[in-house]
Amino acid sequence: MKKLGQEPGAYVQRVREGTQRYTQDLLSDNERLRVLVATLEAERTRLQDRARANEDLLRELDVLRGLAASLEREKVRIQEQLLAAHQELDGHRRERELLQHQLAEIERQSRSHSERYVQVEAQNSNLANLYVASYRLQGTLNRREVLEAIEEIVGNLIGCEELAIYEMDARGEALELVSSVGLDHAEHARVPLGVGRLGRAAVTGEPDVASGQDSERAAEARLSACIPLKLDGRVTGALALFRLLPQKPSFEAVDHELFELLATHAATALYCTALQARLSAQPA
Amino acid sequence: MNKKILLVDDSNTILLMEKMILGKESYTLVTASDGYQAIEQAIAQAPDAILLDVVMPGMDGFATCRELRRREETRNIPVIMVTTRGESDNVEHGFESGCNDYVTKPINGPELLAKLRNMLGETR
Repeated sequence: MKKLGQEPGAYVQRVREGTQRYTQDLLSDNERLRVLVATLEAERTRLQDRARANEDLLRELDVLRGLAASLEREKVRIQEQLLAAHQELDGHRRERELLQHQLAEIERQSRSHSERYVQVEAQNSNLANLYVASYRLQGTLNRREVLEAIEEIVGNLIGCEELAIYEMDARGEALELVSSVGLDHAEHARVPLGVGRLGRAAVTGEPDVASGQDSERAAEARLSACIPLKLDGRVTGALALFRLLPQKPSFEAVDHELFELLATHAATALYCTALQARLSAQPA
Repeated sequence: MNKKILLVDDSNTILLMEKMILGKESYTLVTASDGYQAIEQAIAQAPDAILLDVVMPGMDGFATCRELRRREETRNIPVIMVTTRGESDNVEHGFESGCNDYVTKPINGPELLAKLRNMLGETR
């Protein structure tokens, strides 16, 4: 019994120790579980945060999907506008080509009108020359004035600065100088018919206007034109045109018309002055 | 109101020619046959332009032009010289005397009209 009496203390001691160990184990487990709970709690919080983040991402994704759909609609709208713009541009291109064509036609017509206008002005100028020449020759019965008119026509309208005016002598054998400009009178006083270009032109009655370069023409290079003066087909005199003005390189079409006019009108005018002189000389 | 042009030349042929060329345009034409008459007419008529022959008895075209430029009432009137010879020294002489432009004889109608229109600021 004593043993037993002593044994209960040991037993209690052992139980106490066992309880203490058990308690410590429980405390350790408790601590470990507390840490585990804390860890799990942290993990839960992290997962919750992550879930919220995912939800945000999903919402953002929805927004982006909506935006993409909107952009797609906008793209379609812009493509439609682009197509319309292309069609409009094509229309403008066609219109521009049409306008360019019309403009080119208008410019062509304008150039044509301008050229025609210049031609008409030139024709007017030529007609003015002929009118002035005719008017001046027929405007007087005074011999000196007629000769001056011929000199002015040849000098100012044709552009010749050396001129000789001849009339047929009484026997019809030679041309006699009656007036000159820029020439030595004695040197050109008389030209027998048939001699030289002027003498031959007086025989044929055809104008001789310099254009070739044969030897005789070279010898008479200064003689630019011989214009027989004719009345009723008969040569009554001649005009000899020598040097032209420096700015006048050659004769033009209007000059040839003036030659024709001078050939008859100058002859008529000179003949009229002779008639007038004879009438004036007769006793009243 | 029509523009007024003074034509100065001692040659009736040239005056008549210039009248023929310019007469179909809407210009009022006045004439003078020498330099002295030209200056009188320029003062009295105040033309918009003057066509001035170079070779004239008494006061020639150069002297007339210088006189026109000297006078207050005529110095700004444009002058086109009508010269018989178109050599450069003759033309230079014309510009020195104060002319604005020149044409040579025989007068080319379209050229004269073009220069005159240009001088008067007209377009065609």
